[in-house]
Amino acid sequence: MAEAVVEVEGLWKAFGDVSAVEDLSFSIERGQVYGLLGPNGAGKTTTLRVLMGLERPTRGSTRLFGSTVTPSCNELFRVGAMVEQAAFVPHLSGMRNLRLWWEATGARMKDADLDGALAIAGLGDAVHRKVKTYSQGMKQRLGFARLLLGRPELLVLDEPTNGLDPGEIREIRELIGRLTSAGATVLLSSHHLNEVEQVCSHALVMNHGRLITSGTVSELIGTTKSIYIEVDPADRVRAHTLLSTHPHVADVQTQGDGLVMEMRDGQRSDVAALLVNAGLRLETIMPTQGLEDAFLDLLAAGDAADAGGNTVGASTTNRSEVVS
Amino acid sequence: MIALIRTEFTKAATRTRTLIIALLLVGLPTLIVVAINARGDRPDRGDRGEGLFRLAKQSGLLVPAAVLSVTSGFLLIVIAGTLAADSVASDSSWGNLRYLLMRPVSRGRLLVAKAFVAGALIWAATILVTIAALIAGIILFGVHGATVPGVAGIAGGFHLSSGALLLRVVIATAYVAFGFTALLAIGTLFSTLTDTAASAIGATVGVYIVSEILDSISQLGVARYAFPTHYLSAWETMFTQNTYSQDMVAGIVVQLVYAVVFGIAAVTYFQRKDIRS
Repeated sequence: MAEAVVEVEGLWKAFGDVSAVEDLSFSIERGQVYGLLGPNGAGKTTTLRVLMGLERPTRGSTRLFGSTVTPSCNELFRVGAMVEQAAFVPHLSGMRNLRLWWEATGARMKDADLDGALAIAGLGDAVHRKVKTYSQGMKQRLGFARLLLGRPELLVLDEPTNGLDPGEIREIRELIGRLTSAGATVLLSSHHLNEVEQVCSHALVMNHGRLITSGTVSELIGTTKSIYIEVDPADRVRAHTLLSTHPHVADVQTQGDGLVMEMRDGQRSDVAALLVNAGLRLETIMPTQGLEDAFLDLLAAGDAADAGGNTVGASTTNRSEVVS
Repeated sequence: MIALIRTEFTKAATRTRTLIIALLLVGLPTLIVVAINARGDRPDRGDRGEGLFRLAKQSGLLVPAAVLSVTSGFLLIVIAGTLAADSVASDSSWGNLRYLLMRPVSRGRLLVAKAFVAGALIWAATILVTIAALIAGIILFGVHGATVPGVAGIAGGFHLSSGALLLRVVIATAYVAFGFTALLAIGTLFSTLTDTAASAIGATVGVYIVSEILDSISQLGVARYAFPTHYLSAWETMFTQNTYSQDMVAGIVVQLVYAVVFGIAAVTYFQRKDIRS
């Protein structure tokens, strides 16, 4: 079994009468790139704050590398984190900020991967300017340099592209891509669905502080019921007939060169197997929607379940069954 | 701990605000000395520190006492309050506090380091006032002993040599600086309570202003002895009455009590606080 880098069990966090996170559980194994998805106010940042020891859980526990998280715990040495926007001492240079932050624990600068971090941040000579002269994008890049100084085994990134212009967003995403390609375990909180779709292998969707569903990104997208299929044109009529009579399929329509079908239940793989086993030449099978549509569907379904009096736990269980 | 102190000192000492405070603390004593020199021998109006001002022309070694007397009542309180109350709140307002605490940095040690640096800067500010006043005073009035005239029917006059004056200036400076220990502890606590530096500074200085106002109401009786500002000027008797007042000891005890109570409260609260800035 792969080592769990992050384990969150039954986490509750309340501020007075308001619950920010309710009974949240998930784990991240080494090497996974895990997306934490949810609208604003879903409880993503609170979850990360508890995970980083900034806030104490009301109930439940969080563990890093197998050890329970407490404020200032030693496991934080193995984590590079950017929670909300990168922030620095404004009247000091970028370089001075990096040095002071690193040396605050008594660590020696020669033990930090300063050259590697600066190369990734790509600030050039600007790293010697005062941070108050930086754009938000430059601060974010300096933030990445800071979190990479200690060669962390786990990266915790909270909305890393917030407040950036399109060019800066692309730069930051490329940077995240390079880090994940290098094998880093990543927990990425975002409400930019395409960001998660591009870089994450797994994702967890939460809303109103509660888990809606979790699984691989392809599984989450696969939970959508509308599927587009292309077969060899000679097989199209037969495919239409086969699908129309299949118990998992609610409806089939011709669309351009392909077919769009609405599934009652089951997986895309069931449909693919049906067509291939019937000797049809299957050319394309894909959901008609991306993660963004799936995400919105999941949130709407979660809200509907809440309104219908279903417990979130039951809702979660059902969705887990679908995606697992 | 030394690394933390070095880090916090660099952050605090390199601020533009710190430079402005330093310039103010050098410039103001110089202006006061020039004013004393220009004042001539007009009659004493009984203002705060007036007696020391009147004496100051006798010797440059008395000038620091006169300057400390006027600056410790408000200016140094504001500066000390700013340095103390800004210690945590500034990092919070920059959003930098969470990045400090997402590392294995003990919150208690971080707070102690911040308070230590703030305290060191408060001492530095007080010493800077004294040194600036001493230099300006010596330039204008020279180095002499001083004779303090007696008050008819109350006390006789006395003479203080240069050495005695210098020793008492050192003691006065240390006492004034130590007199901000309570302010340091209160400011540190307030600094952990808010993410806005201005709020923390305002609350801290406000406590001292209220304390001074209440301390001036004699009907409050012995309750005034517990106010952090009550014994702040106890050191002046060294120059005006040739005595080391017992009030100085009481003042030290009061400061220590405040430091312990508010210091423990600050550390306890900060260790349990949810860091949301």
